[in-house]
Amino acid sequence: MSLAEDLRKTVAAAYEVDADTASTQTFDFPLMPLGTAYDMGRDANGVPLFDPRIFDSREFQRNPYPYYRILRDHYPVYHDKLHNCYFVTRYNDIAECYFDGLGYNTIPKGSSNHVLGNTQLELSGIEHSRRRNLYGRHLVGAALTKRIGAICKLANEMIDEWFNPESGMTEYDPATGKYTMELGKAFANEFPIRVVCQVLGFPDEARDKFYYWYKYMMGGIGGRDYEQKGLMARQDLEDFVESIVEERRLKPNFLLDDEGNEVAPDIISELCKTIVDGDVLSTEEITSNIALIVGGGGETTRGAILNMWYLLLQHPDQMEAVLNNDPLWDAAFHETLRHSSSIGGQPRQNTFDVELQGVKVPAGSLMHMVDFSANHDERIFTDPEKFDILRNDLYSEKILRSGYKKDGRTNHMAFGVGPHLCPGAWISHQEGSIGSSIMSKRIKNVRIATERMAKDIDGVSLAPIGLGAINELWLEFEAM
Amino acid sequence: MSADYGSPTVEHEATAGDDEAGYRSYEVYQRERVGSPPPVKPGQLRTQDYLDDPYTLLANLRHYGPSFRDWQGNAFWITHYNDVTSVLVDSANFATRSKRWFYGLATFGRDLRNNVPFLTAQAAGIDKHAPVVAREIVEAFAKRGTADLATEFAAVFPLQLLGRTWGIPDADLPVFAERYLRMQRGFRWNTANQEAGKQAMLQLVSYFTPLLAARRADPQDDVLSALATLEIDGPAIDAHDVVATLLEGDHETLHGALANMWFLLLTHPEQLDMVNNTRRLVKYAYLETLRHSTPVLSGERFAKREVERFGLLIPEGALVICSAAGANHDETIFADADQFIVGRKDLVQREPRGQYRADGLPAGITPALGTPSKFPALPVGRPRSLYAITRDVATIASHALLDATNNLQLAKDAHPTLKSRGYGELHTCWHLPVTFSAK
Ligand code: HEM
Repeated sequence: MSLAEDLRKTVAAAYEVDADTASTQTFDFPLMPLGTAYDMGRDANGVPLFDPRIFDSREFQRNPYPYYRILRDHYPVYHDKLHNCYFVTRYNDIAECYFDGLGYNTIPKGSSNHVLGNTQLELSGIEHSRRRNLYGRHLVGAALTKRIGAICKLANEMIDEWFNPESGMTEYDPATGKYTMELGKAFANEFPIRVVCQVLGFPDEARDKFYYWYKYMMGGIGGRDYEQKGLMARQDLEDFVESIVEERRLKPNFLLDDEGNEVAPDIISELCKTIVDGDVLSTEEITSNIALIVGGGGETTRGAILNMWYLLLQHPDQMEAVLNNDPLWDAAFHETLRHSSSIGGQPRQNTFDVELQGVKVPAGSLMHMVDFSANHDERIFTDPEKFDILRNDLYSEKILRSGYKKDGRTNHMAFGVGPHLCPGAWISHQEGSIGSSIMSKRIKNVRIATERMAKDIDGVSLAPIGLGAINELWLEFEAM
Repeated sequence: MSADYGSPTVEHEATAGDDEAGYRSYEVYQRERVGSPPPVKPGQLRTQDYLDDPYTLLANLRHYGPSFRDWQGNAFWITHYNDVTSVLVDSANFATRSKRWFYGLATFGRDLRNNVPFLTAQAAGIDKHAPVVAREIVEAFAKRGTADLATEFAAVFPLQLLGRTWGIPDADLPVFAERYLRMQRGFRWNTANQEAGKQAMLQLVSYFTPLLAARRADPQDDVLSALATLEIDGPAIDAHDVVATLLEGDHETLHGALANMWFLLLTHPEQLDMVNNTRRLVKYAYLETLRHSTPVLSGERFAKREVERFGLLIPEGALVICSAAGANHDETIFADADQFIVGRKDLVQREPRGQYRADGLPAGITPALGTPSKFPALPVGRPRSLYAITRDVATIASHALLDATNNLQLAKDAHPTLKSRGYGELHTCWHLPVTFSAK
C-alpha cells in the first residue's frame, strides 16, 4: 500500500465524526433518572468529562444538580468554550467573588441596561451603593416592620377569595367538603406582586400589567428575539410611571394603617424627592429603579412559596413540625431556598486577570456564579440533596450582607451575599413565611392533588423542581 | 479674519419626542433607536444550518446591521468587510489567543514560528518538496481515470508536504499524521476531542524527543534540524517546543483551500476550461476561492480594552467573531459577491501587505493564513510570508493535477457540497469524485 493511501485513510478516520456530535444543537441528551448524570465519558485518569452542550439540553433544565456536582468535584472553575464563559460552582469560591465587588463586576455592562435602563445592577463600588441606598432602606428593618400589618391584610384578602364561590379560585366538592386549587393562580402569582405594588405605591390597576412588564422586560434582557418586546414593555412601564411621578412630586403618598395613620411613604414618592448629585431623579431614572424591582420582586418570591409548599407536602413529618411550631416557617423558607432556589446564579465579569482553583481567567471574562451549586456544596452542607428544615448547618435568622459562617452554620446563597445581596431578601422572607403561616391557619388536611400535577419522565412520580420553580402546584384541602 | 466656530449652522429641528414632558436620556435614545428584531436566533449560529450553509444566515446578519450580539455564545459577530478587516489588523485593541490557551495549556512549550531560521527552513523546504510531493500524489491515481480529489489529493498533499519539510521519515508519517490531526482538532469546545488531543500532544512529545536529539547531533536539511539547532533565550529547545510550534501552525487551511478551489472549478466547468487554457489563472482561481468559499469561516479576537465600535460598546475581554465568510460576500465591496469569478476585477491579485487592500482593491479574507504580512515590503533576510507560500504551493499542486489529466470533470451523479464537520471547524468539500483520462 502506498504512503498516499495510508495517509488518506488516516485523514478519513481523523475527520470521521459521529453525525450526532458534529453540530451542537442536534445532539439530544437522554433524560436520566433523578440524581444520575449522563455519562459524558472519562479521561485517561478516570475523571469524568464534561460536555458543554449539556447546558442547552432538556435533561439539564430538568435536573441540573448531578452535573453541578461533577463540576464542583472535578472542575470547580469550568471553562465552557462553547458558550465562551466560566462556571464557578463551589460555595467558598462564589462567596469570595461576591464579596469582591470591584474585582468582580456584576453582570457584564450592557447586558441589562439596554432594556431596564441604567440600574444599580451593572454598577460597582460607590456608584452602586449610592443607588442602592436610595430605596434599599425601605425594604428592611423598621421600615419593613411597619409594613407587616399591611402584608398580612393582603394575604388574608386573597385567601378570603378561596372560599368565595364566585371568585373561581377554587373548585369545591360539597360531597367530600374538599376544595381544589392551583396555588400559583390562587395565591403565589399575585401575592408578591400585590406586596411590591403596595411598597412601590402603584395603584391597583398596575397589578394587571405587572406580569406583562415583568415577562417582557426579563425576556428582553436575554436578548434573542424578545428584545423589541422588552423595549415596548419598558416604554409602557415608563408611560405608566410618568403619570404617577408627576402627581407624587407634588403630593407624596403614604401607606395608611387601619386607623388611617401614615405608616410609611411609598418608594415612588421617596424616589421623587431624592436628590442625587444636587438634582432630583428624572422620570427615566425612577423608572429604571422600578423596572429592576418589577424584575426582581415577583417571580422569585412566587417560586419560593410554591417550592416551599411542594417540598413540605412531600415531607409530611416536616409539614407536621411547621404546623405545630409557627416560627419554623423561617427555617422552612430558608431551607427551601437552599434546596431549590428559584434563581440559578449570577453572572460576573472579572476586572483583572485572576487565577481561581488553578484556572487562569483573563480580565473581562463572563463568569457564572452558580448559586444553585453553592447551595448543594457538600463542603458546606451535609447531605445537600436532602430537604431538611431542621438541619443544623443552615443559618436561617436575620439575613446579613456580610453572610454568616459560624458555629458550623452557614447562610444559603439564594440571595447572594456582599454588596449586591438581594435588597428584597427581607421582604420576600416576610411574604413567604407570613403568607404561608396565615394560609396554614385557614386550611387543613392539605395534600398535593397528584392527579393534576405534571408528571416526570416515568409518567408516575411528580416532575422534579429542576431549574427555577415548579409551574403549577395543585392542592386539595378543607376549610379550617 | 475670524471664523465663527461657535454658532450652529443647522437649526435644531424639533423631533416628536420634544413635545413630551420630561427628558430623554441617551439610554432612552439608544433603546428607541433599536429597529426590528434580528433575523437570526443566536443558537442558530451553532446548528447544522450554519455548518451546511453559513452564507444565508450571514447575509441576514450583514443586512441587519454592523454587529450582532450572540447572548448564548457570549460573543459579538461582525460581518461587514471593512469592519472585519479593521479588527483583524488592529492588534492594539484586539488580541488573538493561542490554541494552547484554549487547551488550558498556555505554558506548554514555546511557539517558535517567528524565528527567522525556522521561517527560512520552512520556506526552503516547501519550495524544494512541493513539486515532488505534488507529482507523487497525482501519480498515485493518475493511471486510474477516477479519483476523489478531496480525500486523495487535497487532504493528503499538505500532510505529506508537512512531513517532508519537517524531516519526518515517510514510514512514520501515518502514525504521526494521526496524532497531529487529533491534536489539531482538540482545542475547541468538544471535551472528548480535547482529551484525545492532549493525549496526542504527549504522544508527539515522546515521538519527537529522540528525533530531536538525533537531528541536533546530525543536522539535516529540514525544519526539525533548524529547530534543533535554533539558539534563543531561555532553556534549550525541547520536544514540547516542537509540538507547540506544530500545533500553532496549521496545514488545514491549505487542505481546505485546495478542496474548495477544485470544488468550485469543477462545479464551474467554463472557468475550469479557462484556467486550463491559461495556466497563469490558476493563481487567480486560488485567490478567488479564498474569497468565495473560505475554508476558515471566521477569526476570533478578544477585546483588549473597552471599545466603542460597530454601534456597540464592546467590553474588555469580549469575544468578537470576525466572520470572514460574511465579509467576503459583502455586496458593497464585491460585485456579484455570491458568484465565483476567476480573475474578477474587484479583487486584489497580489499579496496585500500590511492591510487587506493593495492597489486599492480588497483581498479575500481567510483568517488562518494570518493577517497579511505586517511588513509593507519584504524585509531583507526574511522569507516570503505564509500567505504567499501557501498560495504558491496551492498553485504548484494544481498545476501537477492539470498536467497529469485530460478532460477532468465531476464524476457522473456526483453532487458535492461544502460543509463543516463541527462548529468552528473547516468549511470544505469532503468528497469530490472526478473522472479524467490519463495523459
Ligand atoms: C425569594 C425571592 C428572591 C430571591 C431568591 C432573590 C434573589 C436575588 C439574587 C440572587 C440577587 C442578585 C445578587 C447578586 O447579584 O449578587 C438579587 C438581586 C436583587 N433583587 Fe432579589 N430575590 C428575591 C426577591 C426579591 C424581591 C421581593 C425584590 C424587590 C422587592 C428583589 C429585588 C432585587 C433587586 C433590586 C436586586 C439587585 C440588587 C443589586 O444589584 O444591588 N428581590 N435577588
